[in-house]
Amino acid sequence: MAADRATPALQLRGVKKFFGSVSALEDVALDAYAGEVHAIVGDNGAGKSTTIKIITGIHSADEGDVMVQGERMASRRSAADAHEHGVSVVYQDLALVECLDIAHNMALGNLPRKYGVILDRRKMEREAAVVLKELKVRVGNVRTPVGLLSGGQRQVVAIARAVRMDKPIILLDEPTAALGVQETAHVGEIIDELKAAGKAVICVTHDLDFAFKHADKVTVLRLGRSVGTRTVADVSRDEVVGLITGAIPGDTRTAEVA
Amino acid sequence: MTTLLSRRTRRGPSPEQKEPVTVEEGTSAAEWVRRVMSRQETTLAIVVVVVGVLAAMKSDLFLDSDNLLEILRSSVIYFVMGCGAGLLIIGGGLDFAAGAIFTLSALMASKMLVSSVPWPIAILGGLALAALVGAINHVVITYWHVPPIIATLGMFYMLTGVDNLVTGGNDVIGLPQVVQDIGQGSILGVPNIVLIAIVVGLWFWVLLERTRFGVNVRALGGNRAAAVANGVRATRVDLALYVLSAVTAGLAGVIYSARVGSAQVTAGGSSTTLIVVTAVLIGGVSLLGGLGSIQGIAIGAVLLSLIDNALVLSNIPPQYNTIVVGAILVGAVAIDHLRRERIFRKR
Repeated sequence: MAADRATPALQLRGVKKFFGSVSALEDVALDAYAGEVHAIVGDNGAGKSTTIKIITGIHSADEGDVMVQGERMASRRSAADAHEHGVSVVYQDLALVECLDIAHNMALGNLPRKYGVILDRRKMEREAAVVLKELKVRVGNVRTPVGLLSGGQRQVVAIARAVRMDKPIILLDEPTAALGVQETAHVGEIIDELKAAGKAVICVTHDLDFAFKHADKVTVLRLGRSVGTRTVADVSRDEVVGLITGAIPGDTRTAEVA
Repeated sequence: MTTLLSRRTRRGPSPEQKEPVTVEEGTSAAEWVRRVMSRQETTLAIVVVVVGVLAAMKSDLFLDSDNLLEILRSSVIYFVMGCGAGLLIIGGGLDFAAGAIFTLSALMASKMLVSSVPWPIAILGGLALAALVGAINHVVITYWHVPPIIATLGMFYMLTGVDNLVTGGNDVIGLPQVVQDIGQGSILGVPNIVLIAIVVGLWFWVLLERTRFGVNVRALGGNRAAAVANGVRATRVDLALYVLSAVTAGLAGVIYSARVGSAQVTAGGSSTTLIVVTAVLIGGVSLLGGLGSIQGIAIGAVLLSLIDNALVLSNIPPQYNTIVVGAILVGAVAIDHLRRERIFRKR
């Protein structure tokens, strides 16, 4: 894994998290680089969601470091801080506000203003339209309330929001879980384009087909540990499945993988 | 008011938006009518007109310009309080202390006025006290994790006690003439307090519809977790909402005192809290948060004041007033819920 292209865009080292006496994360390490799609896979309860929440700042790690572009992030921080550090997130529950329209949802947390105070709605709607057009999304009017959209449309709006933020690191939590075949293919295309645009794309998924098709690297989590990171081109599906189930023992120390 | 209602739907494609992706709705007349008719404000405006026509048929006095102005004048209190209380409900909160803050600010400002403090400072003093109470509400709700309905209800009782203690139950009378002139006078036939309400309403409309803060308020009320996940600083917005709610309650109390020339210990109270929340809910603000508008709150406030007036002029016993208001409240919320089920796929 030594072939560094400069510093990793996102790096996790020895991350541990406890909920009371329950240990959710034992030891998670990860190196994600710009221009790469990095899949995080694992069984239910392996710690995928907790890992995402620690990166975004919803949870704080009890031990270990989260580094963005080589800079260590404070363990106590809010979702807004993650934005400022250049991380945009597509949550599994999408985090859309149903009563707001598409344009407002896409700009939430980063609403454009004019004259210092007044909301620049024209700019907001134009930006939303441009991003949706780039992503070849058909959701009709950007003034449509998100509450009116289908599940697939909502997923795409959530991704479009992350794209609009134009951050160097994009985190996607189970982006295809609720999608049909065609919609999944579309999301895959978008991920490929983000990679081509030089973003570090980190994608938590249980869909191995999707991971093998679009990811460059895959990190396997098992029982709260990162048990191995592999280059997708060099690894068999069986090996990844073996790491997920524990049939193949993980790398002895995750620290040595890096 | 109709221009405000229809502004969003009437606007055609703007010149910059030549992208085919922004499929503009509302370009056909039928579509426009459908969208305007589907708004709660439209239904309410129709109810206002119907009540007005009925009242005009029962009483010749109703359409007298003095009477119409009186309806507006008595709706001012509900509306000014409703702006802050409604914005808070849109943001997912609730303030049951408003009626007691109303009295508290009125007493504070009046005590200062009768002690010869200059009137602008006295009024600011009353409002500052209200702001402090709002901030305390926020601390109790956010940091002590007391649910808003409990925290503000508790504050209501405590303030009611304070209001009675500091006055010994006696009204503060004999406010300076300059203040009474403001409260009772008019400019070009429009009562000053109606002008104040219009300014307050415009300010709140801009705040809700045309600023980041307003969008953040709707987002927090509509889906708090999603708003926070997207970087909306919930604690700051909540603080502003509770302070604004308290300050508008205080302002309404000061306006009322200026109008009647004294601060009454019995003015405000639980009935004021409930009437304001009722006006806000009738005006289309959702108790679940996220939805509602200042123009809706305005119509709700005018409607309550109008019903009051129409029943008196029609010689209908006052007991019917609360029956009618209760029925309208339940009906308005039920209709709103039906409409929402049709609009949104979930909920």
